[in-house]
Amino acid sequence: MSKYTEDDLKEELKTKEYEYGFYTAIESEKFAKGLNEDVVRAISKKKNEPEWMTEWRLEAFKIWSKMEEPEWANVKYPKPNFQDIAYYSAPKKKPKLNSLDEVDPELLATFERLGISLEEQKKLANVAVDVVMDSVSVATTFKETLAEKGIIFMPISEAIEKHPDLVKKYIGSVVPPSDNFYAALNSAVFSDGSFCYIPKGVKCPMELSTYFRINEGGTGQFERTLVVADESSYVSYLEGCTAPQRDENQLHAAVVELIALDDAEIKYSTVQNWFPGNAEGKGGVFNFVTKRGLCETNAKISWTQVETGSAVTWKYPSCILKGNYSVGEFYSIAVTNNFQQADTGTKMIHLGKNTKSTIISKGISAGQSQNSYRGLVQVNSRAENSRNFSQCDSLLMGNACGAHTFPYIESKNKSAQIEHEATTSKIGEDQLFYCNQRGIDTEKAIALIVNGFSKEVLNKLPMEFAVEAQKLLEISLEGSVG
Amino acid sequence: METLKDKILSSYVAFENNMNINSAVHDIRSKALENFEKLGFPTKKLEAWKYTSLNSLLKNDYSLFPDRGRSIELADVKKYFIHDIDTYKVVFIDGKYSSFLSETTHDNFDVCLMSSALTKPKYKAIIENYFNKAAKQDNLTSLNTAFASEGAYIYIPKNIEVQKPIQIINFTTGSEAATMIQPRNLIVVEDNAHVQIIERHQSLTTNEVLSNVVTEVFAARNATIDYYKIQNDELNASLVDNTYIKQETNSEVAVHTFSFGGNITRNNLNFFQNGEHINSILKGITIIEGKQHVDHHTLVHHIEPNCESHQDYKGIFNERSTGVFNGKVVVEKEAQKTNAYQQNNNVLISDKATINAKPQLEIFADDVRCSHGCTIGQLDDDALFYMQQRGISEKQGRGLLMFAFANTVLESVRIPEVKSRITKLIANKLNVNIGFEV
Amino acid sequence: MLKIQNLHAEIEEKAILKGLNLSVNAGEVHAIMGPNGAGKSTLANIIAGKEEYEVTQGSIELNNEDLNELAPEERAHAGVFLSFQYPVEIPGVSVTNFIKTAINETRKAKGLEDMPAKDMLKKIREKSELLEIDRKFLSRSLNEGFSGGEKKRNEIFQMAMLEPKLAILDETDSGLDIDALKVVANGVNKLKSKDNAVILITHYQRLLDYIVPDYVHVLHDGKIVKTGDASLAKELEAKGYDWIKKELV
Repeated sequence: MSKYTEDDLKEELKTKEYEYGFYTAIESEKFAKGLNEDVVRAISKKKNEPEWMTEWRLEAFKIWSKMEEPEWANVKYPKPNFQDIAYYSAPKKKPKLNSLDEVDPELLATFERLGISLEEQKKLANVAVDVVMDSVSVATTFKETLAEKGIIFMPISEAIEKHPDLVKKYIGSVVPPSDNFYAALNSAVFSDGSFCYIPKGVKCPMELSTYFRINEGGTGQFERTLVVADESSYVSYLEGCTAPQRDENQLHAAVVELIALDDAEIKYSTVQNWFPGNAEGKGGVFNFVTKRGLCETNAKISWTQVETGSAVTWKYPSCILKGNYSVGEFYSIAVTNNFQQADTGTKMIHLGKNTKSTIISKGISAGQSQNSYRGLVQVNSRAENSRNFSQCDSLLMGNACGAHTFPYIESKNKSAQIEHEATTSKIGEDQLFYCNQRGIDTEKAIALIVNGFSKEVLNKLPMEFAVEAQKLLEISLEGSVG
Repeated sequence: METLKDKILSSYVAFENNMNINSAVHDIRSKALENFEKLGFPTKKLEAWKYTSLNSLLKNDYSLFPDRGRSIELADVKKYFIHDIDTYKVVFIDGKYSSFLSETTHDNFDVCLMSSALTKPKYKAIIENYFNKAAKQDNLTSLNTAFASEGAYIYIPKNIEVQKPIQIINFTTGSEAATMIQPRNLIVVEDNAHVQIIERHQSLTTNEVLSNVVTEVFAARNATIDYYKIQNDELNASLVDNTYIKQETNSEVAVHTFSFGGNITRNNLNFFQNGEHINSILKGITIIEGKQHVDHHTLVHHIEPNCESHQDYKGIFNERSTGVFNGKVVVEKEAQKTNAYQQNNNVLISDKATINAKPQLEIFADDVRCSHGCTIGQLDDDALFYMQQRGISEKQGRGLLMFAFANTVLESVRIPEVKSRITKLIANKLNVNIGFEV
Repeated sequence: MLKIQNLHAEIEEKAILKGLNLSVNAGEVHAIMGPNGAGKSTLANIIAGKEEYEVTQGSIELNNEDLNELAPEERAHAGVFLSFQYPVEIPGVSVTNFIKTAINETRKAKGLEDMPAKDMLKKIREKSELLEIDRKFLSRSLNEGFSGGEKKRNEIFQMAMLEPKLAILDETDSGLDIDALKVVANGVNKLKSKDNAVILITHYQRLLDYIVPDYVHVLHDGKIVKTGDASLAKELEAKGYDWIKKELV
């Protein structure tokens, strides 16, 4: 069981402002602002990348230069000036570390404040963590334990050097650079991220985890995650995100690619808590992320996300169900408060026969926020006996926010069965009075009801993440009911 | 090559020759033409047209102002009327009014022609208050508005309950290889008034037809309107049906759309609720095959509190047909206590058929009950087996199941003759022997 | 324990209670009966502090503390329990989680630590046995999909867990079959002690066969118009409420 108690929560609730909004005073080496071919080359060179990688990036840059920023999402924001962003920011004392002891104590303190200290995780949860601070991996713990099983878990920059064949084979295979504007940008300038390979038949004995953090002002973060689960293997991967509180908007444009080969299973969980901007809607992270997984025969990919942060979120973790009998799942809680805007959902592309997908999306809107679910379920003509079930529930708190659902359902196969349900509700006065009558005050009652509303998704998270996620839900909805 | 758009724009001068260009109505038309010139025909790049392409239709060399072709005999077209009950009729042949086939009235209320309403001083006040006031200024509606000159005009004053249904029928005779018409209807129903309307578009040959229809409907306080659209046209006839309905407090408007025929059919059905305790009902049955395409685009805009909307669309798609359902419900901040329901159920019975559905909710008020459900699936195998066990052939069993699936929508049809006509059409379409009159 | 004096209350400017007096001592069971619309449920909701009702005159005191000033949860912390006529559903929140939260919030208000999990579980086990509640039921979402009987049984289970000073049972007998009624009544009887008090609000005499009241009050038109012992309930059952109304004229 977790150690998180009511008192911890009480403490949490005392701080109304974004509690992770601090700035770690680690010296950074930052590239001059702006983007052109030379910057792309420089990033590649800085990282000692092989020729093929440099070329790959340049090709992506070429594609990106010709693209236009997408307009279709239900979000409004000042367009980032892509020439006004520093595309590389690495902690200057670039540590090469083998154990936690060598990690900058200031950084360790940072993680302790986050409540996800490496120490804690290492001891309690048996989690291997790759920390990406700004754009560079700082430490990957538990390397030896994983190495015994043949599991590769390292910064992607290191993987490019040490396992070029694997990286070359899979990078861009699920999300090609031409996929969309942000994916192209990421492909050109990504500075680091995590790489994970689980060999055939291996069940990864612990949760693997990446923690992202944008630290430096005026930087964009473009990390790249690539997870390959070879035949009959299993891995559960956790991703956490925070950013310090800043007035200007910070850009985060990540790409995550998952490949589940025959009979493999990948569980990918995200708790995203980028700085959402202050109560007046100033600042905050623009989170434009492309996440997609490919399932071969009988493989399964499960995306679970708890999205409470970012000023603007644009994110659709998707599954391409290529192999017969493959399974895709998407469980999501998206909370928006104040002036946040989220346009998030999933795409389930059924290509193989007897493929199955499940979508459970819970949107909670408060303050003056706008929360949209956008999803696509596509059944191709050869996808005999495919099944999809989707459920999108929205909870509105107060009368200044909006909840939207845009599900696209496309079926070209007569044997497919697709069911979509959506509901919108609010927290009833009678529910609150009932809770009050049993001695539970209104704020606590809301937390209880929201947790109940989100339960189907929270249940899908690994335990230690679920606790943090619950806590985040409560914090992000604080003060939303007057 | 001159595109259809160019042709339309350059034909406007000829059109103007027959119009009074110094009128408020014509100012509206000219503005609409400018708008159409700017927007052009919709393409698949537009979100609203993502799943429906008009390209195959726009290639045709349409005659824009067909001369009245051969006259038609009542005996030839009688089958297209609901003839077993007494009704008012407003009938057009190739876009021109046919007094011979029509039965209009001016007793207590007006069932007559837009061409009169748009020009005679007697109707001026109504036209000023209502003409083009509910219609959205989108591409195809603007095109229709630019050429708006003929159609049905129905005005029901306060407290009048019209006893007979009104049929609006547009025949095209195929006197030209391809015909494009722009019928424009206006229906105003005042406080406590009631009316039932049946609308049909029918081509009499297999020549190409494209009808771009705009109907504006205004339901004042406590008004009730029952509207039935029967779409069972020839396979070379395509229809874009733009209907805009504005409702006031306590009114109830129900629109049933039955789509069985035609080549490409696009229904843009829009409801604007402009008062409290309004009920809007949108129902549809689509049964198509071959290469037919039916697209239902519905919008219900809940603007004020305490209103309801109910949508129920069923679709059965055979062979290479494609169906689209895009149902949008918007609930504004002020529209507390809204109840909005939407159901869309589809059955694909061929491997080549496609359904694209996008049930969409945009909610800005917190105290509302909104739900949508959408299913795509097959017939219930257990039910089929049950029927087979009782000696019903598989084919007949399938037919019966589909019949039952679609039939739930018919329960709310309030004109028995329409109900039995549609029931027969469905049975016919599905090759089901229903055995007795329902 | 409970002292209500000259209570006037209204909802949307419509007067419901018009000078109600009621005094309940520890160890007593009071039944409040009356025809539909007399204000029985209003009284229950006002004691529990529902906001829609406005108290325009008079006082409600629990152990000399003025309840009118307190928020609903503070009244609950002070020991007021209302068994709802129509308990609400809270999807996704299990009965166990809900009651755990309620108990710990109440303890917190009294400056106590959370109840240790071990004690909590023991208590849940005891009380669920007392009310013949299947353990599986406890992990279901609160009141969601519960039958009428299950909802009422769940209310009494919560009462058992929270151990209130004053329990108000609003039409707890409605919607119960005879077996469920016996179980619920049996539970209430076992929970009764010299330190707590129970107010039964009911339309029928049926429940009073199983929970015998010390006093029976007849509420009519916002006032208590007659008070007697258990036999009054029997008389009402036989003669109907019209008899009281006539007597008043």
